[in-house]
Amino acid sequence: MAARTDIDGATVEVVQSYLTAAAHEMRATLIRTAFNPVIYEVLDFGISIYDAAMDLIAEAPGLTFFLGANDYSVRKVMAHVGPENVEPGDIILSNYPYWNAAHTYDATLLAPVFDPSDGRLFAYLCIRAHWMDLGAKDPGYVLDSTDMHQEGVVFPGTKVFRRGQSNDEIIDLIRFNSRMPDLVIGDLNAQVAALRTGERRLHEIVAKFTRPRLDAAIATIMDHGERTTAAALANLPQGSWTASDIIDDDGISDDPVAMQVTVTIEGGVFEVDFAGSAAATRGPVNMPFGSTLAMCKVVFKSLTSPNRPSNAGQTRALKVKAEPGTLFHAVYPAPTFTLWTGIVGLELIHKALAQAMPDRMAASSGGDVPGFMMIGTHPDTGQMFAISNNDPVGWGATPRHDGASALIHLSESIVRNTPLEVLETKTTMLIERAELRPDSGGAGQYRGGLGLHRDIRFLTDGEFLTVMKKTKSPPWALEGGRETDPNTVILFPGTARERRVSTKRTAVAAGDRVTLLTAGGGGYGDPAKRDRQRVREDVAEGYVSADAARTVYGASPDDG
Amino acid sequence: MAADQDLRMAVDIGGTFVDAVELDMTTGAFRLAKAPTTPGEPWRGVSDAIAKLATDLARLEVFIHGTTLGLNAVLERRGAVTGIITNDGFRDIFLIGRGNVPDDHMYDFQYEPPEPLVKRRRIAGVGCRLDYKGRELEPLDENGVRAAARHLVEEQGVEAIAICFLFSFRDPAHEQRAAEIIRAQYPEVKVSISSDIAREHREYERTSTTVLDAYIRPIFERYIDRLSEALSDGGFAGRFLVMRSGGGAMTTAAAKASPTQTVLSGPAGGIIGAAFMADLLDRHDLISFDVGGTSLDVCLIENAQPVTAHEAELEHYPLLIPTYDIRTIGAGGGSIAWTDEGLLKVGPQSAGAEPGPICYGRGGERPTVTDAALILGYVDPDRFLEGQMTLDVAAARSGIERWIGAELGMNVEAAAAGIYDVLLARTVGAARQVTVERSRDPATFSLLAFGGAGPLLAPLVARDMGIREVIVPIVPSGFSAWGMLGADIVNDYARTDLRLLDDVSADDLESLFAAMEADARASLTDQGIGADNAATERQLELRYMGQEHALTVAVGSAIDRAALRQVFEELHEARYGHAMEAPVQILNVRVRGLGIGRSPTVAEVERADGGPERALINQRPAYCFARRAMTPFAVYDRARLAPDDRIDGPAMVDEGTSVTVIQSDQRLEVNRYGHLLVTAAERA
Repeated sequence: MAARTDIDGATVEVVQSYLTAAAHEMRATLIRTAFNPVIYEVLDFGISIYDAAMDLIAEAPGLTFFLGANDYSVRKVMAHVGPENVEPGDIILSNYPYWNAAHTYDATLLAPVFDPSDGRLFAYLCIRAHWMDLGAKDPGYVLDSTDMHQEGVVFPGTKVFRRGQSNDEIIDLIRFNSRMPDLVIGDLNAQVAALRTGERRLHEIVAKFTRPRLDAAIATIMDHGERTTAAALANLPQGSWTASDIIDDDGISDDPVAMQVTVTIEGGVFEVDFAGSAAATRGPVNMPFGSTLAMCKVVFKSLTSPNRPSNAGQTRALKVKAEPGTLFHAVYPAPTFTLWTGIVGLELIHKALAQAMPDRMAASSGGDVPGFMMIGTHPDTGQMFAISNNDPVGWGATPRHDGASALIHLSESIVRNTPLEVLETKTTMLIERAELRPDSGGAGQYRGGLGLHRDIRFLTDGEFLTVMKKTKSPPWALEGGRETDPNTVILFPGTARERRVSTKRTAVAAGDRVTLLTAGGGGYGDPAKRDRQRVREDVAEGYVSADAARTVYGASPDDG
Repeated sequence: MAADQDLRMAVDIGGTFVDAVELDMTTGAFRLAKAPTTPGEPWRGVSDAIAKLATDLARLEVFIHGTTLGLNAVLERRGAVTGIITNDGFRDIFLIGRGNVPDDHMYDFQYEPPEPLVKRRRIAGVGCRLDYKGRELEPLDENGVRAAARHLVEEQGVEAIAICFLFSFRDPAHEQRAAEIIRAQYPEVKVSISSDIAREHREYERTSTTVLDAYIRPIFERYIDRLSEALSDGGFAGRFLVMRSGGGAMTTAAAKASPTQTVLSGPAGGIIGAAFMADLLDRHDLISFDVGGTSLDVCLIENAQPVTAHEAELEHYPLLIPTYDIRTIGAGGGSIAWTDEGLLKVGPQSAGAEPGPICYGRGGERPTVTDAALILGYVDPDRFLEGQMTLDVAAARSGIERWIGAELGMNVEAAAAGIYDVLLARTVGAARQVTVERSRDPATFSLLAFGGAGPLLAPLVARDMGIREVIVPIVPSGFSAWGMLGADIVNDYARTDLRLLDDVSADDLESLFAAMEADARASLTDQGIGADNAATERQLELRYMGQEHALTVAVGSAIDRAALRQVFEELHEARYGHAMEAPVQILNVRVRGLGIGRSPTVAEVERADGGPERALINQRPAYCFARRAMTPFAVYDRARLAPDDRIDGPAMVDEGTSVTVIQSDQRLEVNRYGHLLVTAAERA
């Protein structure tokens, strides 16, 4: 580590601004050049910058799970490739789940960056983005794989560019293994363009500040992250708390899968231990360990440094334990495609923490990212489409205010939904209703946010996928608030074929319908303590029915 | 134009000052007056500034007004009580939005959204539905419209109603009929329909735009009517124009019909001025750099045309209106410097005008950028704002020592310089972002610096980014108002199309353009533009099928699809580094109507004998960023500089309302218009 004596707090901040700006420029380039709506519209990506020691030094806003997973991937991929085997202009592709810390379609591109003045490697750039198809067993999304090889073509750490020249044999391999080669190659190009932007910027930064000053500034940034996090950690209650929940099933059997976590805050360490969780499942709900780490980092950062730019120093006090071969530590060849475990898992950690500090934590949100996708052939073009959307849920009530209604789940909260006018233009779904669900927010002194009611009618035959893993256990409440009904998918409502499912690939015919009811957030505190004026307003706004106001909140008829 | 109407006036309401400028169209003579902004009654500050100029209003050919009234109404939640009518089953489109939290709340798991502009009880669904091609699936339930309007107006007391139906950009008939019903039923209620305001796809963005329109319309109309009356009472008989956010101006009648077009017009005058300067000085690639008291605006001028966007955001609400593509960072003279565990931060909190920087002596306790400028010697404490205010140097010094120097172990000058370093890094980040998004090298641009603090900061930005030249116009602190004087009358029309370029015949496109041009020309005629001065421009927003972001391609009078595709691909290659085989889709068809006015005259400055010594005021120590030390700077009076004067840095040019700072590795030259040009000194 470089000496820090010669660098002042202004210069360090200046360096940090430049590094963050470089990440933002990469992001701007990616968004503007991407082909895949999941990248440009839904912002399903993560961009981060590392120093020579592969410690995070800057990131751009993106999917928090992706950002945290990049850290793990960079180290594993470089261990595979060998730092001695990379050269300026190289770009390395990885999607091997156990190293890349994600399912096979969340591919990372990694670029080592060299100091032009002495030819030494001094930084890495990493971009993870969701690719539409890499030849898994089913189009769109894989819900029932039983090993990794059913989840698409795998690259352990493969140079798609060597010394600035594209490796066309590898690019052909990608092209011929994808059902949507134009989208995938377009996104690969977009990621490359963003990496090149970042590389140019880092060259300018190292020339401007010189290596010794840059190293000293980065060391100070890390140290700052570590110190400020330690101070925040010291202010949290010390002790150990355990919580458990289930996810619906593993995609193969209908049996729920047990999850358990123990959080211990002690001696300046924040330990998250998944002992007590199920063994690895047959179906694809297993988490690569890097994904588990990323999930824990998100929780830890939200508690200790939510408003500071991210760096590796901030997560040094975090320790994560999960036995290899279990749900939270998948090993080859365990299937990992349906990563929804991490979404439910994030709030499981919150559930443990809520025991420690009920005055600081919110109740559970609707607890999931209820996703759906339609795959079919568009009558206007004759082309296959596979278009998805993630629905919002209610957020949990907090010790200070009501939960927000109809927001994307905490785990990817800056991600946007797909506009109805885009969905109906690109698919053959007709959305017949998409509205807040009255009374779906958990009652309490502070009320949970409301979930969504969506009705869909299919105008042609096709396949309809729902992806969600929390339809069997209710979102939990705090301090006497009320739980809510979990997420619900009703196939073919009002017909003899009507049934409830969670994660499912279903053949649909023109005229078929489905209803999606997403869960509201849990309540906080006794509903009887709710401010009467707020109860009346909730009725006036249609968030709470007059009936529920009386029966749940004890409002007198005159209040309405 | 009547023979005696030989003056133009522009009035720009800023956050702290109202600027009024008068231009003599015959001589090019130009005068500026400032009055404090009066947020509660905005017309009063405007009247004060006009009164200070003491112009004979009867001599005005044109009065051009830039107002952020609509913006402020939203920021302060002072707009009309607004209701929404949408499709049955889709009541919550406006409340749900895109379901996301803002980027800066990425790790905030207890995010609390702000109170929405429209409460849910004031949103009603009525039966009707179109499909994605605009075919009717369900007719409009006219009785449902009446019942919804009755509920909104009589029970909820709404003053304005926004109507937005799904796919109305394909066929506005349902929206138009619903509006007709409501207007007949409640003539006093303002009705805004989405297909009039933003005939583009994406239901939330279109609804949001329509809601903002309805929300600000009543307050905007009252304000414009009141100001019109006051001007007429003063003898004004010329044309009253209002600035648009995305270029040009419009008559008050057009503005009242479409007030959203004005909400982001605050910085627009400066951008129009910048485009004018790009032509005048033959510097076709410019970065406009406008630094005021609380924020800093950056915009790119490419080929003498400002870069525009078709979508903007206001308080996290999307707005489908054409705007200049301006990046704002919350950093200006009032921004507060603070430390976070050993790191120095600047902003986003601002001390504003009250209590203001420490040196104002009005109770401000936290050091600001202005306090740092004072310590660094850039501000003459006795000449600040032309001597109208004395600054307390000792208080600024001890504030920076206490809050920054002691915390970071830096002496007071180093701490003050550090504040500038941090501000500069953020600024450079914003400036780079706009060039990177266009795939351009910032070193090939000139920097046009204006706003009170622009000429101080811009030469530092130029050094950092390798920009070859900084241009400081005449009266930089009034440049935004000056720029308005050159605004043409402009209107914009857009239609979302979504067909493939290959599937649309040239004749189809021609007739679509022709219909939109007819609308544009009719609007110009309504705004008093004769056929001789009316022009239209055609554009297509094209993208590869599957992409979201489109590129705008200019379309000539003869439509050649192969040529359009080629232009698109070249642009794509230039911007993004690759072109593709994929089919090209038309996102939006756009037409701009232009009423070309007289260009303002720019006067040349008289030459003078001798060298710049005639303008030398004194020497004072100031911080040189090239030497990173306090250094003697020669200080010149701008009023006494003349064309061809050359000054080597370190030097400062003071003009009372702003100061241009030339570092020791830079030099200054005065051109024939009196503009200051700061460039890198040739290496010895």
